[in-house]
Amino acid sequence: MATHADTLHDQHYHPPGLQHQFEDMGQQQESASIGMWMFLVQEIMFFGGLFTVYLVFRSKYPMAFAAGSNHLDAFWGGLNTLVLIVSSLTMALAVRSAQLGKRNAQVIFIVVTMIFGTVFLGVKAIEYTAKYKEGIVPVAGLNMKTAKTASTYPNARELSTRTGDTQDPRESLNTGVSEADTHETGEHSYYNPTGTFVWTDASLATQAEQGGYLTESEKIGYYSNGELNVNKFRDKVRIFFWIYFVMTGLHALHMIIGLGVMAWLLWKAWMGTYSAQYYSPVEMSGLYWHFVDIVWIFLFPLLYLLGRHFLHGGGH
Amino acid sequence: MQNAEAINVGNIKEEPKVSYLTNGFTIKSWLLTKDHKRIAILYLITVSAFFALGGTYASLIRLELLTPQSDLLQSATYNKTFTQHGIIMVFFFLIPSIPAILGNFLIPIMIGAKDLAFPKINLLSWYFYMAGGGLTLFALLQGGVDTGWTFYTPYSTTFSNSYVMAVGLGIFINGFSSILTGLNFIVTVHTMRAPGMTWFRLPLFVWAHYATSLVMILGTPVIAITILLLALERLAKIGIFDPAIGGDPILFQHLFWFYSHPAVYIMILPGMGVISELISNFSRKKIFGYEFIAFSSIAIAVFGFLVWGHHMFVSGQSIYAGLVFSFLTMVVAIPSAIKVFNWAATLYKGQISYDTPMLYALFFIGLFLIGGLTGLFLGSMGLTVHLTDTYFIVAHFHYVMVGGQVLAYLGGLHYWWSKITGKMYSEFWSKIAAIIIFVGFNLTFFPQFILGYLGMPRRYASYPPEFQVLNIFSTAGASILAIGLIIPLIYLTYSIFFGAKAPANPWLLPGLEWRTSSPPPTENFEETPIVTWEAYEFGEESGLDLEDARNKYKVTV
Amino acid sequence: MAEEYKTAGDAEHQHNEPHVIPLSYYFGVFGVLVVGTILTYFVATIDLDGIFPGANTLVALLIAFFKMACVVLIFMHVRWSSRLIWLTAIAGFFWLAIMFAFTMQDYLTRSAGVFTG
Repeated sequence: MATHADTLHDQHYHPPGLQHQFEDMGQQQESASIGMWMFLVQEIMFFGGLFTVYLVFRSKYPMAFAAGSNHLDAFWGGLNTLVLIVSSLTMALAVRSAQLGKRNAQVIFIVVTMIFGTVFLGVKAIEYTAKYKEGIVPVAGLNMKTAKTASTYPNARELSTRTGDTQDPRESLNTGVSEADTHETGEHSYYNPTGTFVWTDASLATQAEQGGYLTESEKIGYYSNGELNVNKFRDKVRIFFWIYFVMTGLHALHMIIGLGVMAWLLWKAWMGTYSAQYYSPVEMSGLYWHFVDIVWIFLFPLLYLLGRHFLHGGGH
Repeated sequence: MQNAEAINVGNIKEEPKVSYLTNGFTIKSWLLTKDHKRIAILYLITVSAFFALGGTYASLIRLELLTPQSDLLQSATYNKTFTQHGIIMVFFFLIPSIPAILGNFLIPIMIGAKDLAFPKINLLSWYFYMAGGGLTLFALLQGGVDTGWTFYTPYSTTFSNSYVMAVGLGIFINGFSSILTGLNFIVTVHTMRAPGMTWFRLPLFVWAHYATSLVMILGTPVIAITILLLALERLAKIGIFDPAIGGDPILFQHLFWFYSHPAVYIMILPGMGVISELISNFSRKKIFGYEFIAFSSIAIAVFGFLVWGHHMFVSGQSIYAGLVFSFLTMVVAIPSAIKVFNWAATLYKGQISYDTPMLYALFFIGLFLIGGLTGLFLGSMGLTVHLTDTYFIVAHFHYVMVGGQVLAYLGGLHYWWSKITGKMYSEFWSKIAAIIIFVGFNLTFFPQFILGYLGMPRRYASYPPEFQVLNIFSTAGASILAIGLIIPLIYLTYSIFFGAKAPANPWLLPGLEWRTSSPPPTENFEETPIVTWEAYEFGEESGLDLEDARNKYKVTV
Repeated sequence: MAEEYKTAGDAEHQHNEPHVIPLSYYFGVFGVLVVGTILTYFVATIDLDGIFPGANTLVALLIAFFKMACVVLIFMHVRWSSRLIWLTAIAGFFWLAIMFAFTMQDYLTRSAGVFTG
């Protein structure tokens, strides 16, 4: 018979939530903490692989990356950053409420955290849909297929402030564009019968060439026979959007998992499971949530803001 | 093997009525167990099955290579055969073997704990292993994969018509098994040690697994993201690894080897931990240089992350990077050498007994020496240009992985067999098998060093006829090795049903695992042990009456 | 021999009173994060690459690191955690740095003039 005898364990009172392999809550809490941090370390390395890919390609093709980045909507990106920051605050306050044994406060803060997390995902859905409509989803066939009709761009505001931008970047080279299309009205012609990735604006490459700051890879990568080849430029921009979708997509997946964890936590908090003696699951879930926030803190400037200074009369 | 009358030493008062093996007989009590010992048995069965499958592929390879022509297997099939041999052996045998079986079973006992820190996560690890392995097996049955276990792009992303994504997904899932096991071990060693079990009283087996766990946690996620990128590339054809549109196939190799080089340290560090145990205990002498061996494990784990480019010297990576990686490759050999010197110093003036586990340990030292030194040859950039993609590489890694890790695994399995099963195996047959394995192994792989040096390339179904003689030696050796590996399967299985009942401490050793019954009860110890002796303490401080026991210790066959 | 006994695990057992941080810390960090985000946005629109190439990126990363540090130290309680936790957090980033640095040392030196002139 497995006796529970333990020479150092005199009392037979088992605190709530103490698992059988641990001697006391302190050991359990410490184990949970180290365990969760080990998990976060491996998450750092997981995302780190993607950051490495980003680093390699951005250092090779910075102008293509800048061009692609400028087409992301920094407003939504910035809003999402603030949304996650608020959710981090409310999550931290949920942990604090659990530490103080305040059940109602815990529940409220967890709910608010979940709301903001959902808002984040909603904004991402808006962004992804916009990419779909604009023909800059990097996978062939996954863009909106249209015949030659006009459609409204949700991000026309961003486009109309771009300098040096005389041609609508989403026009395919073999499209006929109506003279009546203007940037100010936000109405544009968009012709993409097969739903491929469309990109025609290589102005940043020209700008960099004139300024003399193309990289070695760019000098080979954007040009054929000495001439700027927009299709080759497009391929590098497509790599940028690929990295954008994979990184933000993986991040969003982690958010969804986080929301699932929050739902479980909410139910347990509602049942009054957590108190000053046992709040470790809230704290550990909080660590995960903060980690997801930190990944976004880096994704936002690296993806959304990397080429903004070119838009405002910038360059080297 | 020892006196049949168990000399009762230590704190064991009497045999407990229920051991972990008899504590429940239903399928559910095994498949939903939280007992680390039962999980280790689950791993033992499934890992052995994968080993047999990988070995079957190896037999096919060696049979094909008996003749210069590609007559037994077409080239396309041969490509699948060596790929699958590699994938199964690396991911489903070598990486889990010692940590998931011996580590899982022994670490809590060695530190005096009731279980690992997270028993349910431990079980989840096994299910991830089964899911990943199952998916990979399914893909193999559908037609398999032919890219080499290294999945190099652009072949794997663009041109291969085989089941790259399915196998990749299987390996991805299996990676979680590794990560969770490593996480569990690290937390356990930090927080679950019994009173008196300080860091420097830990058995070196535990230190080795701690270092291995660091590598598992830091490295495995990178192969996970690499496989994900590979799968996405197959689906979406963006071209991040395609030079035609500006991608870089070398990027894949960087990401792949960032994990896969430290992975080879996952594959050897636990074996080194076993060897430390075997050398010290079968010399009945405190290990020489305990701290050096302990820290060298950590050093190998850390430095192992800095050398991955030595797999890419001729790939197109910059020469400067190659220089840096080559230099660091020389540096990473130093901690391994420190271990070998310390083991040798332990043997010196020890009271050596040639039980089967000790035979495996001694063989390990010799074979690991050869494998490790040839690794240094390969790490120097001039030589590597000549030897890359030849059989020299194949021989090198088989010397360290089979001559090293597999022998350590077998040695450890025999050493702790009585603890795990409560039964004694036949010492006669085990010694025969060990010697057959040693002879067969060397006959298989030593000719491959020569073949590689002479220029025979690897991963080819056919070869120039002048290489045939050495290939015949190699295949003959493989046949002997196969027989040698089958024999333990027979006598170990036999021992489970018909073996003599094992005493708690058959060799009269001071380790904490020998102070509980064989097999242990579910809670490992009747009472929480309080450790007051140093590691490998063969003197009176260990609390065992070892002087007296040593007089009664006899070797019988 | 009683003095030799150590309780299980490395650190002293947590007393059952959790370490509660004052609310001001939380709101302070929140403020810093919001300001940091807005700052990142506006600095990105200013061209700093005239100072040296990559200055924009450097500033953006510095702000991001600072924000991360606030989240890690305060929200994730690392400032009051054991040295092991500190070491774990630092190790994660150190390994990331290894991956970046050793990969980029290849790319940055491919057309390097050291050996090719």
